[in-house]
Amino acid sequence: MRNIAVLACAMLVVGSAVVRPAADEMPNLKDPKVISAGHALFLEKQCAHCHGEDGAGGVNLARRVLDAKGVFISIADGREKNGIRMPAWREVLTDQEIWQATAYVLSISKTKQ
Amino acid sequence: MRKSPLATGLVLACLLSSTGIVVAAEPGTEDPNNWPQYNRTANAWRYSPLDQINKENVGKLSVAWIAHGGDITMGLQETPIVIDGVIYSISAGDKVTALDAKTGQTLWIYEPKLDPLNKKVLFSPYSRGVAVGHGMVFIGTVDGRGIAIDQRTGEEKWQVQLTDFANCHGCNFTSPPTVAGDILTFGSTAGELAAQGKIFGVEAATGKKVWEFNTIKQDPKSWPGDSGKYGGGGAWMPGTYDPETDTVFYGTGNPGKDFDDSERAGDNLYTDSVVALDPKSGKLKWYRQEIPNDVWDYDAPYEVLLFKKDGKDLIIHLNKSGYVYVLDKNTGNIENIWPISDVKNFVKDVDRKTGELIQRVELPMNKETLICPSTFGGRSWNSGAYNPKTGLWYNDVLDFCGYLKPVEQKVDPKDYGTGHTGSNDFGRLVMAPDGRKPGKLSANDPFTGERKWSVDMDVPGFACVLTTGGGLVFNGDPMGKLQAHDADTGKVLWSFNTGSGMRGGIVSYSVDGEQYILVASGWGSYAALLMPALLPQLEKVPAASTLIAFKVSK
Repeated sequence: MRNIAVLACAMLVVGSAVVRPAADEMPNLKDPKVISAGHALFLEKQCAHCHGEDGAGGVNLARRVLDAKGVFISIADGREKNGIRMPAWREVLTDQEIWQATAYVLSISKTKQ
Repeated sequence: MRKSPLATGLVLACLLSSTGIVVAAEPGTEDPNNWPQYNRTANAWRYSPLDQINKENVGKLSVAWIAHGGDITMGLQETPIVIDGVIYSISAGDKVTALDAKTGQTLWIYEPKLDPLNKKVLFSPYSRGVAVGHGMVFIGTVDGRGIAIDQRTGEEKWQVQLTDFANCHGCNFTSPPTVAGDILTFGSTAGELAAQGKIFGVEAATGKKVWEFNTIKQDPKSWPGDSGKYGGGGAWMPGTYDPETDTVFYGTGNPGKDFDDSERAGDNLYTDSVVALDPKSGKLKWYRQEIPNDVWDYDAPYEVLLFKKDGKDLIIHLNKSGYVYVLDKNTGNIENIWPISDVKNFVKDVDRKTGELIQRVELPMNKETLICPSTFGGRSWNSGAYNPKTGLWYNDVLDFCGYLKPVEQKVDPKDYGTGHTGSNDFGRLVMAPDGRKPGKLSANDPFTGERKWSVDMDVPGFACVLTTGGGLVFNGDPMGKLQAHDADTGKVLWSFNTGSGMRGGIVSYSVDGEQYILVASGWGSYAALLMPALLPQLEKVPAASTLIAFKVSK
């Protein structure tokens, strides 16, 4: 019985290590420090290449109303829509960094704050 | 003993007929009905001698069939191959389809399972084409493999991992290999990658790698300190194989970091060069570097055209700077250099005899500098086409500029989605300072540069041009407009809306005595991502992955 309990606990730990729902770690996306960190990432990772530093680049974000989880997933898993493609950043960036970039993207989009 | 003329003639006829059978089965053969390799023939002219479709009847060109089915991601960038009534096409995800050239019906499909890492790298999931030879269809994949497929059945014959995909910043293949006799050569992406770009030689029959050529020269004078370790370069467009001299020519990519040369104060060989290689050994026969110590991203991987003129064997080669180099095919010596456009300010000029860059404009760190042409170049990678009847070379010239700003950047070959460029972007695009239209279809003498005619374009062309024996030039634009021009004057003779922009090739072939024009319609590539900042109308162009075949209705 004790062995079964130990095994069950072990499985729970392993199971929770494999599944990492991103939303649980969402910081305050309106925090200026988070947005500032996201801005720095946006530049460093060349998001401005396609989106422009202010979001009004070839793939325009400034005109869009976006949601936080959608932006997070797009950055983490990449995006292929309407023929254009964004690379995936999961494991190249940490989840915290992806949230920071999300915060900056929301701040330059049409999303109501 | 004197040979009888009849005997000699018979022997010659036998030799020619037996040679004809062998040659007809291999790519590069002068068979007017086929498009057997990327630029159609070994001289890379992209010229079809077919003239059933001509100036008199092109107005009656209409759709013969349409084939859909490819993934639309990053568009359809290929030049399809057509041999003996079969089309060999490649679409996103390196999916290869064989189609009946008369009906567009699918004959077979091959789709490799790609390394999931390809979702993270910069240059994916597109391909500019396949190569065909030795009874096989060959591809270079976006996860760095070479694969051979049975030409008749679509069954895989062999595959070989060539690049160290996970450790070279995602370096891979986005263009077809080149068939060079019994060897296949593959040129990898690299310019914007923290890697050293290589060209690989592989046995066509087996896939066994026999050599690799490093486009980064191991020379501390050329690459001071550690700068060559992530020197970039590569050769990301198809090479030209010259059977006459058994040489494969490649244009090479730019050095890294693209816009910051502070650690690579040397000429950075063999980046931005034409290299002539022995395909059996990979040994360098000669090189001609066109842009030493490049800081503008003016890489040189574009097509190498071959000519015989006035007793000389010549090469015509354009690099991204917009300057065209006329070189001796056997030595790489410079015969002439001319600019395809006067929208240029990165140098005052290039010395026509020595190739020296005169009064370079360097890029100060953390400041924007206006540079013309932009990082799309004076022309993009889409090939031009040369017509021997007119003596003119037709190209989609790009006449716009960009602001470049180098910044400090850490190097990390595992940062797959970030280019090793020393910048935050690839240049902020702007129109030319004199406000001219952003592009033109230009017809030039390839040796002197003298322009015979040009047609201004509101939206510049990014498709490979086709020219034909019927006196026509076919060109497609990103808005979907496909046009036939009079090759002598540029006059538009026919126009058709394909529904999506063109980024790949327009080819011509004949089946059962009927000539077809075949177009890859499917807007995509980095042009689709970046150009809307300059031309907002491009944002609304739908993506596609469609082949459209036209013929003259009876």
